[in-house]
Amino acid sequence: MSRKPEEASCRLTIDGREIVVAADTPVIDAAERLGIMIPRFCYHPALGAVGACRMCAVKFLDGPVKGLQMSCMVGARDGMVVSTTNPEAVDFRRQVVEWLMANHPHDCPVCDEGGHCLLQDETISGGHALRRYRGPKRTYRDQDLGPFVAHEMNRCIHCYRCARFYQEVAGGRDYGVLSIARRTYFGRYEGGRLESPFAGNIIDLCPTGTLTDKPSRYRARRWDLERGPSVCLHCSLGCGLTVGARYREVMKLEARLNPEVNGHFICDRGRYGFGYESRPDRPRQPRVDGRETIAGAALAALAEGLKPFEAGKVAMVGGTRSNLETLAALLGLCRDQGWRPPVFFRDARLAGAAESAAAALSGDLVASLADVGRADVILVVCADPLAEAPMLALSLRRAARRGAAVLVLDHRPCDLPCEAERLTFAPQELAGCLSRLAHAALRGRKEAAAYLSSLPLPPDLLPETALALDTWGKRLAEARFPLVVCGTDQAEPTLPALAGGLARLLAGSHDQDRRAGFLPLLPGPNGLAAALAGGGDLEALLADIEDGRATALLVVESDLLSRTPEPERWLAALRKLKLLAVCDHLPSPLLEAAHVVLPSRTVFEAGGHFVNQEGRLQRAMPVFSPGLPMGRTLREGHPPRLFMSCAPGSEPRPAADWLKDLAGLLGAGGRAGDWADLAAAFPGLPGLAAGPAPENGRRCLPETAPGADAPSVAKTGSPDVPPDHLQVLLVERTFGTEELSCRAPLLAASAPEPWVDLAAADAGKAGLAHGAWLLVPLPGGPLRARLRVHQDMAPGLLLLPRDPRLLWQRLAGTGVLVELLRLHAITAEEEPAGEDTTLEAEP
Amino acid sequence: MLPEMVKLRRKGEELLEDGLGLLRPFATTLGMLFTRPITVQYPEEKRVLPARSRGRIILTRSPDGDERCVACFLCSAACPVSCISMEAATREDGRRYASWFRINFGRCIFCGLCEEACPTLAIQLTPDYEFSKATIMELVYEKPALLVDHGGKDPDYDFYRHAGVTEKGEKGSHVNEQEPVDVKRLLP
Ligand code: SF4
Ligand code: SF4
Ligand code: SF4
Ligand code: SF4
Ligand code: FES
Repeated sequence: MSRKPEEASCRLTIDGREIVVAADTPVIDAAERLGIMIPRFCYHPALGAVGACRMCAVKFLDGPVKGLQMSCMVGARDGMVVSTTNPEAVDFRRQVVEWLMANHPHDCPVCDEGGHCLLQDETISGGHALRRYRGPKRTYRDQDLGPFVAHEMNRCIHCYRCARFYQEVAGGRDYGVLSIARRTYFGRYEGGRLESPFAGNIIDLCPTGTLTDKPSRYRARRWDLERGPSVCLHCSLGCGLTVGARYREVMKLEARLNPEVNGHFICDRGRYGFGYESRPDRPRQPRVDGRETIAGAALAALAEGLKPFEAGKVAMVGGTRSNLETLAALLGLCRDQGWRPPVFFRDARLAGAAESAAAALSGDLVASLADVGRADVILVVCADPLAEAPMLALSLRRAARRGAAVLVLDHRPCDLPCEAERLTFAPQELAGCLSRLAHAALRGRKEAAAYLSSLPLPPDLLPETALALDTWGKRLAEARFPLVVCGTDQAEPTLPALAGGLARLLAGSHDQDRRAGFLPLLPGPNGLAAALAGGGDLEALLADIEDGRATALLVVESDLLSRTPEPERWLAALRKLKLLAVCDHLPSPLLEAAHVVLPSRTVFEAGGHFVNQEGRLQRAMPVFSPGLPMGRTLREGHPPRLFMSCAPGSEPRPAADWLKDLAGLLGAGGRAGDWADLAAAFPGLPGLAAGPAPENGRRCLPETAPGADAPSVAKTGSPDVPPDHLQVLLVERTFGTEELSCRAPLLAASAPEPWVDLAAADAGKAGLAHGAWLLVPLPGGPLRARLRVHQDMAPGLLLLPRDPRLLWQRLAGTGVLVELLRLHAITAEEEPAGEDTTLEAEP
Repeated sequence: MLPEMVKLRRKGEELLEDGLGLLRPFATTLGMLFTRPITVQYPEEKRVLPARSRGRIILTRSPDGDERCVACFLCSAACPVSCISMEAATREDGRRYASWFRINFGRCIFCGLCEEACPTLAIQLTPDYEFSKATIMELVYEKPALLVDHGGKDPDYDFYRHAGVTEKGEKGSHVNEQEPVDVKRLLP
């Protein structure tokens, strides 16, 4: 829906009350602002109006429009007098709902929408209490739409919300409207899994029980759920969620409206990435030397065990999925005890990239997800939006639909749901290409001289590529609101600083009312806080453990053994440790090796604060208290017939509490651990001082970045890749690779079969075909995976997802090269049967 | 009238009232001597209560013998004392049912609101009032103790014959349904 810029405002009267709104605001919205909720089915603020359902009829008594009109279709004008309670309008709406109900099945008792169904509400409020139509009802056959969306087409009222979202907002092509008139059908041409990674939103949007959540199908009513606002932890965007739990188990997650972040929608990774909190193998009992014990004893044993160590030999590993409270406790512990600074990132490259991205951010430059939709020229560097931060792809599509030009510079075959220009370069060439682009964009700008002279030299480019970069540079310079997105997962450490510097100088080139934006993608939901806190990286720590420079290790909510490409080396190093303590809620081989295990709570049970990539402090509320899900405590088919004061399995405590108690036992600090301490732990986020997060969060970055006027970056070298060799790069995918969601049973069971990517040129040389099963010789043993061949991917690379279903950890190191000609396709007999893509028993 | 006289008169009225109150019961008793006694020698003798009396709750079955309850949670939502709890689940044949269903009769006030809320006529109150127990726990009834093998007060109703879902019968085969729409037909 195209809404004109809000230049003029107008005054109208609704039900005798006056309101001033921007001209052309739909009357239905203006009424909502007065607290008058006009009944509606098809209108949705994020989808706009189509006037399909006729439910929002009101009477226009005076003004430019007169008579009975659809309030969603009429834009506000000066002097309008509207009545929502006029008998004619009321009677019209009553008839509409009666027509809609004529074919509606007698299903509410077995319909999962029941209890939060708009159709139920409007039927009752519309006054249609008694069925008069006695004729036969229309029926439809349903489709299987995959593991997430249940389809019950008889209940549809043809509001078109689902199709409008799926095709217009999400850019999906496999779901929509079929047939005409009385046969209008919402579905796919043939049943099958919905392809869009945003498909789950049609469940929230559908005002009836036609599209409902399949994983929670037939499990609970909305009114029985323990619900609370939360934040998604599956990437750095921090989309708003509403958690619904029942009987100590998360039933479903829904999108929570946060206008500056995710709007009304979330991606399916966020929606279905739960379930790790109720895994049967989740650690729930504190353990010391393999024996289960109680919390106090475990803490005392840990404190006692830590005492003999020299402070400089105690190391801590933190995770970017921990809440801010935990990170603050961790930083405080290290500082007070004089331990080594905590380590958050897996290698020096990622730590460097995250830190340089964080350093480039400031309040005047940072862009929110909503800003992406407002930008008119968008440059995406070294980021694969759908894989690293799916909702960014939706925002890019929104921008593109409003006419924005999008350029993606990356080495991967980024799949975007919108029109975008793609230029592919090897990862080490990206900085050079950005440099060429920056030169074109900032040519002749005096204040940019220092920045431009610090840039690396562009690589040798094909003339048309060079021309394209120059054109895009000019476009950026001329843009009304240019925006630069930069990833960190694959980027050289200097790249985010370079991208941020470009954005900053672009902003400087504008008049006062113009702006530019920078949006980095950071590793993990609290990646920004971790990056600002600094610290080393896991690779360096590993070397220190091997050399005996660190002999005690505390790992807090970091799944390092399943995330490292060198698990064998880590295991050997861990055996050298004199003390290993692990505080986590995810099962991992690390727990087996640990001397002390402290079970922590998940975000659903502990809540906490998270700072997303725009420095927005957001709060997740604890939604239920931990314990074994009711379903797992049944005896003889029903809950135990006992009176108990606490549920079994309720031992996990918030990680921050474990750490604070440990600090208390170690004798230092012993402070209250209140908000002021937390704010003091992150000097890079001055906004924290204003207190906990309000409902939609609050930006906490400093208004300007130090040294922001002349950002300068160091030059990087490129690795030597011998000819006919492939660099193996570990990459993220939308589903199946992210640390938390790959432990989610729903996603693990339904994520598409993992695959590796190869550029068409390389595949041609090696004689490999798209879809073939491939045997990749890795240092730690061969890996078997299906191959995808891409035209739009940089050559010389083999992209390997960090998917636990693949034996990617056979990589046994970083910077691994494989010889192109040693890749070979497997014959049909060697192909694994069925879904199983792993090779457990391979030597 | 003088205030003293008013007082005196009120006193006299009260006296008369008290005296009558003393005599009336005697008159009633005397009258009752000549009527037939209605005392029932409970527990040796039992009264047959009307079918609609509200006592022990049962979960009934539909005419085809399948359990009626679809675990819709309406009874538990309607119950003013929250004494019904259950968990909904999907049976192997795809049908929605209650995997466990519990009523705490220690708390139930036999108001009958659950029965009124039930859209499938599954939950019904019966005239049985004789189930006092020695401990509270014994008053917590589980599903096997609640489920009976008849249809209770309305033996003929089968929710799934009227619902549009395919748990019992294909689309278009339920009461008052048309053949399913053919979406790929091109005629108007
Ligand atoms: S399926 Fe739901 S959202 Fe789609 S048209 Fe029908 S009622 Fe509307
Ligand atoms: S985009 Fe990221 S934060 Fe948002 S719902 Fe998806 S995974 Fe979660
Ligand atoms: S009779 Fe009343 S109190 Fe008893 S279970 Fe039903 S609704 Fe609850
Ligand atoms: S209202 Fe009836 S069908 Fe619904 S849960 Fe209760 S007994 Fe079962
Ligand atoms: S909401 Fe206005 S016509 Fe549907």
